[in-house]
Amino acid sequence: MRTTAVAAVPQITDADFHKFAEFFYRKTGIHFDEGKRYFVDKRLLDRIAATGADSFRAYFVAMRFEADGSELQQLINLMTVNETYFFREAYQFDCLVNHLLDEVAARKPRGSRIRIWSVPSSTGEEPYSIAIYLLERWARIDDYEVEIVSSDIDSRVLEAAQAGVYSPRSVAQLPKNYLNKYFKPTQDGNWRISRDLVEAVEFSLVNLSQPADTRCFRDIDIIFCRNLLIYFDDLSRRVAAEAMYDALRPGGFICLGHSESMSRISSLFKVRRFPDAMVYQKPLELT
Amino acid sequence: MGLKKTSEAGTALRRVEERTYPRDAGGLIAQLRDADPAVRRWAARDLAVHAEAAPRLCAQLLEERDASVRAVLFSSAAQLGGSAVVEGLLPLLRSDDAALRNGAIEVLSGLPEAVAPHIDALLRDVDSDVRLFTVNLLGNLPHAQVPEWLGRVLNTETEANVVGAAIEVLAEVGNRSLAQPLRAVRLRFADDPFIGFAAEVALERIEAA
Amino acid sequence: MSIATPDTKPPQRILVVDDAATVRMYHRKILGDAGWATDEACNGVEALERVHGQDEGAAYDLFVVDINMPRMDGYSFVRELRRLPGVPQVPVVMVSTEAKSHDASAALDAGANVYLVKPARPRELVLNAALLLGDHAAALKAAGALS
Repeated sequence: MRTTAVAAVPQITDADFHKFAEFFYRKTGIHFDEGKRYFVDKRLLDRIAATGADSFRAYFVAMRFEADGSELQQLINLMTVNETYFFREAYQFDCLVNHLLDEVAARKPRGSRIRIWSVPSSTGEEPYSIAIYLLERWARIDDYEVEIVSSDIDSRVLEAAQAGVYSPRSVAQLPKNYLNKYFKPTQDGNWRISRDLVEAVEFSLVNLSQPADTRCFRDIDIIFCRNLLIYFDDLSRRVAAEAMYDALRPGGFICLGHSESMSRISSLFKVRRFPDAMVYQKPLELT
Repeated sequence: MGLKKTSEAGTALRRVEERTYPRDAGGLIAQLRDADPAVRRWAARDLAVHAEAAPRLCAQLLEERDASVRAVLFSSAAQLGGSAVVEGLLPLLRSDDAALRNGAIEVLSGLPEAVAPHIDALLRDVDSDVRLFTVNLLGNLPHAQVPEWLGRVLNTETEANVVGAAIEVLAEVGNRSLAQPLRAVRLRFADDPFIGFAAEVALERIEAA
Repeated sequence: MSIATPDTKPPQRILVVDDAATVRMYHRKILGDAGWATDEACNGVEALERVHGQDEGAAYDLFVVDINMPRMDGYSFVRELRRLPGVPQVPVVMVSTEAKSHDASAALDAGANVYLVKPARPRELVLNAALLLGDHAAALKAAGALS
């Protein structure tokens, strides 16, 4: 007769890990291999403890059969790094000024308006990074009128974005000359961005799941929607992607976060590869 | 030129569209047939809060050719949920159009309580494709009865492809009570190399290998 | 006596596209055992991302593609693949659970080279892959001419 030993601490076996990794990959497109074992196991054990499950099996079953997917959302939060700072994932900004803007500009007369939508604005690092890139690194900035609009669902971060004060950590990726050109140091060791840049971004309070909020975004040429959709449930993700499809002009581009993919969200966009980045495009010809 | 300042008179975000049709359900339903796909898309989007439109939204899927409008029809159906949507979408499981079928499966998999009463009949459908697509649906359905339904498939299904699909899902949701049915089905389809492989994986995952 | 070593070319690379994880595992094992390198994607959109994500010189030599996938099915993926500028026109094996003949012609119309009914028997998959890859040693082995 087998003695049943009760494990004092739940374990993640190899089979558990593979089962979890396949499920997570299916839902998010994020692939965890053996090298991420420690990272994944630790976070799974955290959630097992937090939910009061007595084993990985019990935890996984509860998560898999949960109708609203909230535990999966918790896990996604834990498994992904969500920190905002200036020039985060800058290769996409390189793509913006090296390729995307030129393609967009080629379809418009000189002097016309180009619209860029940055969502979520969070505390402003992304829209201001875009502004700095445009001024410093797009050769044709003087030939077009570029409008930057930026939105968030959280009014407190919008207020912070408009105040424009940032920590040393947040500006660490900026070249020194940009920092000195566009920011002034504050008394307490932070950096305040110039009012010119604050006024170059139009901020708004928007819930991407609400048609009433997204309806007024039209004729957008380029959308940055990075590291947001991954935190939505499946349905909200689709609704947001479809709203952004409508916001874009034909041929408009959308950039997602580096670990995000339209393959889990929508088939409406074409995949476009540029030297700096892979982005998605609303088709030009509408059939 | 350069960056546009918000302190300039900018009406870009606050422009209010002139509505040529009323936004009540009747008006929106009429717009589902507009020649302009953008109008149809917006009508489909705005119908997401009109429960009485569920049958009409589902019916429109059969006629709509534009992928972007279809996508929004499905999303709105998903937001409405309920048995009217389930009944409207179940017939799409029989469609030859893979995009329609898979779109329906995606919406149905988000409506576990409304879909559950239909599963038994679907798993006994005379069409093996329908049985296969039902197993695909179970693969994403957050319902506690999924392992039990799959167990029944293992015990009674004759089509190797349906069995294979069921074993695939059990690798994720199976429990130890499925070990014996998995071994039995592996024997029954002993000359099918995929079923043997898939059963091994499933048994390993439910740790009864 | 020393035998001249064949020049060490990297193994040919195959992208396996299927929404079912176990089927991907199965096909990858069969193809891997035959000596080829494999990658996977779970639907047509992800497969296109994999294709775009390849650097020059590391492009795929063959695709093994399921027809019935969510988001973007096999036909649409192959049609998009054949339309890509600058991507070499690589052979495609299409696999499907359906044995109806119209699926075979639809597959070929979309641009596939070969249509197999799923799940393919290991030897059949390897033989077809080997022939499309021009890998004569593997083709002979699969056909049973070598022990």
